[in-house]
Amino acid sequence: MILDRLRQSFALNPLTVKQWRRFRSIKRGYYSAVVLGAMIVLSCGAELLVNGRALIVYYEGELYFPTYGDIIPGSAFGLDYEYETNYRDLDAEFEEQDGDNWVLMPPVRYGPLENNLTPGYFPPYSPSFETGHYLGTDETGRDVLARLVYGFRIAFAFASLLLLCNYLIGIAIGSAMGFWGGVFDLAFQRLIEIWNMVPTLYVIMIVASIVIPNFWTLAAVMVALGWTAMTWNMRTSTYKEKTREYVLAARALGASNQRMIGSHVIPNTISVIVSFIPFSIATGIFLLTALDYLGFGLPPPTPSWGEMLSQGQKHIVTAPWIILSVAIAISIVLVMVNYIGEAVREAFDPKKFAYYQ
Amino acid sequence: MNHPAKTIAVLATGAVLVSGCGSETNIYLTLGVPVEPYALPETAIELPPIEVLEGDGLPDVLPEDLVWVTNEDDPVFASPDAKRGGTFRTSILGFPLTLRRVGPDSNGSFAGFLRPNQFGPIALHPDTRRAIPALATHWAFGADGRTIYYRINPKARWSDGVPVTADDFVYAMQFMRSKEIVAPWYNNYYTDRIRDLKRYDDHTYGVQGANPMPAGEMHANYGIGPQPRHFHVLNDDWVANTNWQIEPNTGPYQITKVRKGKYIEMTRKADWWGDDLKYFKHRFNPDKIRVRVIRDPNVAFQYFLKGELDTMGLVLPQYWHDKARGEAFDNGYIVKYWFYNEQPEALGMYLNMSHPILSDELVRFGIAHSMNFDRVISTVLRNDYDRLSTFQIGFGDYDNLDIQPREFDLERADMYFDAAGFETRGGDGIRINEDGERLSFQVTYGTPLHTDRLVVLQEEARKAGLELELDLKDGPGSFKKMLEKKHQIAWMGWAAGGLAPGYWQFFHSANANKPQTNNLTNHANPAMDELIMEYRASTNLEDRIRLARILEQMVHDSGVVIPTFRVPYTRAGAWRWVKLPEWVAPRTVASAFSPFANTGGFSGGGLFWIDVDERERTLEAKSDGHSFGPTTIVNTTYRVDPAG
Repeated sequence: MILDRLRQSFALNPLTVKQWRRFRSIKRGYYSAVVLGAMIVLSCGAELLVNGRALIVYYEGELYFPTYGDIIPGSAFGLDYEYETNYRDLDAEFEEQDGDNWVLMPPVRYGPLENNLTPGYFPPYSPSFETGHYLGTDETGRDVLARLVYGFRIAFAFASLLLLCNYLIGIAIGSAMGFWGGVFDLAFQRLIEIWNMVPTLYVIMIVASIVIPNFWTLAAVMVALGWTAMTWNMRTSTYKEKTREYVLAARALGASNQRMIGSHVIPNTISVIVSFIPFSIATGIFLLTALDYLGFGLPPPTPSWGEMLSQGQKHIVTAPWIILSVAIAISIVLVMVNYIGEAVREAFDPKKFAYYQ
Repeated sequence: MNHPAKTIAVLATGAVLVSGCGSETNIYLTLGVPVEPYALPETAIELPPIEVLEGDGLPDVLPEDLVWVTNEDDPVFASPDAKRGGTFRTSILGFPLTLRRVGPDSNGSFAGFLRPNQFGPIALHPDTRRAIPALATHWAFGADGRTIYYRINPKARWSDGVPVTADDFVYAMQFMRSKEIVAPWYNNYYTDRIRDLKRYDDHTYGVQGANPMPAGEMHANYGIGPQPRHFHVLNDDWVANTNWQIEPNTGPYQITKVRKGKYIEMTRKADWWGDDLKYFKHRFNPDKIRVRVIRDPNVAFQYFLKGELDTMGLVLPQYWHDKARGEAFDNGYIVKYWFYNEQPEALGMYLNMSHPILSDELVRFGIAHSMNFDRVISTVLRNDYDRLSTFQIGFGDYDNLDIQPREFDLERADMYFDAAGFETRGGDGIRINEDGERLSFQVTYGTPLHTDRLVVLQEEARKAGLELELDLKDGPGSFKKMLEKKHQIAWMGWAAGGLAPGYWQFFHSANANKPQTNNLTNHANPAMDELIMEYRASTNLEDRIRLARILEQMVHDSGVVIPTFRVPYTRAGAWRWVKLPEWVAPRTVASAFSPFANTGGFSGGGLFWIDVDERERTLEAKSDGHSFGPTTIVNTTYRVDPAG
């Protein structure tokens, strides 16, 4: 009996199961989700795949794992300097010594911030398997692939953070507006209309003139000005739902406002929320990229797609690999996110027999 | 902004002028119709006589003991092979907002075409830096050390044929002081810096400045130009009325055609009064100059490649190395010129001494030794730039060439940082001191074009355990932060100019720890203050040179400035038919293809000529596919061995 209870509580809502099946049946959305999911998971461990730091160093009978944590100075491996070890050089040196020492490097052997410059040769360097710059370097000799990968992680994290904060605030205020209506609703509508008029770019420029913008300040500004979008949708949905019989029934049973909104209204507007998520992510990525492109985003040398775009544009004739890499990457990610968005919307569509084309 | 040239330089780089385009107005100016005698137009206001403060003022009678001098002994720098004729085609980024030389909107890039055609009493020789005759033939210095007397060339004429007289100089003074011209900077300069101006006869006048100075600098600072008093109707509507009027000038070119939004054409005066003067012979050769509006530099470059513009500046490495390639270059239709010049330069990192850690000179020395400029030069800057050795350079004899810049040297950096108490390194490799303070500084800078240089320095500095945090702001925003002294390290350059280096504004304690002054380092040193004041007051050139070199050494010793790069040259591409003298240009030119007299503060422009026959030959060769072979002319006559 306990087992039954457990199974019941873990069993998915039949509606959810149906929606999931429907989502899976839409192939391009589903595969996009799989690929994008894999990319996100991989990018979380980007340090293990794309890094100038070695995975494992075996030196004089001891194993070192430099990937995470503090830097290991060159002197730890018998080199004559106190700054961080250059593991590619160390690898070459151990190979030359032909001793027991060895270095295991990640598949891509460059970090996103390292300037791999050769005096007398002028960056950007073209893609080459020999040097290990599979997509070439940018104008200061940094690996394009490494910057793409880390740039993706930052952009996605930024977009997710933005989404979370915007939705928390937007849903809370939007539902409250719809649920209470009246003066509260009116006041907030006007407030939001005024708030919407604040030009985001100027605010960011002003903030940038006071402090050096970083991930958190940028996100804070964007959330402060971006939460309004979700309120309108939530307000309308809540207005619609609150007049339904089940809400009236809950009210008749003496449910509190909090319970009515939290347990009854919001779960029934979930399809609206969920179908907006992928598009919000796409907007978030696009916003950060645009800001970086204009030079108001994350400070250099943060790896960023927008900064790469502007570099690529500058070197469009002489170093086309920069713009090609980043343009293709942006296109692929945004197209995938949109496919997922379409599929989600379709899966949550209450009209069962609608055709998805 | 304390010099008009600076203002122009700053605005010219930033200003993209727009216009109400489309309407076609052809304005032809009839040259050579004298309008005499002069009478104040009825609509004009009466200007007050020149007001003189107590303690200032010129004598009522011309002193008799004046020693009148001229300069006909310096070498000629124009080529006798120069041929007159042809049209020189060039471009600007936007149509000017006005054709006035002063007043609102007049400081845009087109001022660079108008102002050099208004001559002053003298010009500065582009090689010797000495005064040479222009409107004046002779000059003499007053006993007070701040007065000059000029004798005007009786041949000097305005474009409409009216002779230039001493009254035009008196009028210039009244004009520049009047509120009607809506030019506060000029109002102030002609009140604060120029104290008196007096006419002695038709062709003789005297001018008095605020401070005593050596002769050359007095010319540069107090040798103001005339204004055509027969032309201006000064009243409340002056700004609006003169907006599109073509003002008579004294230079070789005059505007003859204006098509709003499209182009402006200037014509060489056929019987220009200056043609016989020693230093103006064989100069200003093209018959016409056509200034076309092309709003995008990349588009302008395409026009140049097609042969629709005669020359194009190629100073930026990206242009010189990457864009200036292709058939026209390979076949020698376009010739590339790389000319090392002597123009004042001051690019550096300015360390704010009011920062508690940067106030320690050991830290400042350590930072200097952690900056790997050679690596930046040999990679991202393509070996094009040189290392700058001192705070400022390019003033000829004033330069202190004995100073060696602090080189990238990790051992020395270690030594200095250790001595300053930053002995241990944190987990991220950055040094910390006993109080747990990290050795980390913000570098404030104002253009994304410099990010590539800074990230290389940033990575290299980590090796010394020093962190640089890059603080990129928009241009005005970064300069504001620096002027408010809120920066830690300022990465910028000064549009240095003039004949001698300045120290008071940059290093005197009177300007330290105060917002809106140019002492970005907040440097204050009583010993240096004394020398600076001595340098400022001295009128003896040798003495000033000696003091300037000592001051430069003191700046170096204090470590408050880390000199960065210098671009000691001008580069350009020119179609084969644009000819230059064998020696390319005199040492001080800012641009070898400047069609007018003044370039970079000296009279070294207008030397090139258009060879019409060569043009035919080149165009023929181009259509036949005949090649002259790629031609690049590099002139290193005036190259100063970097840091040596």
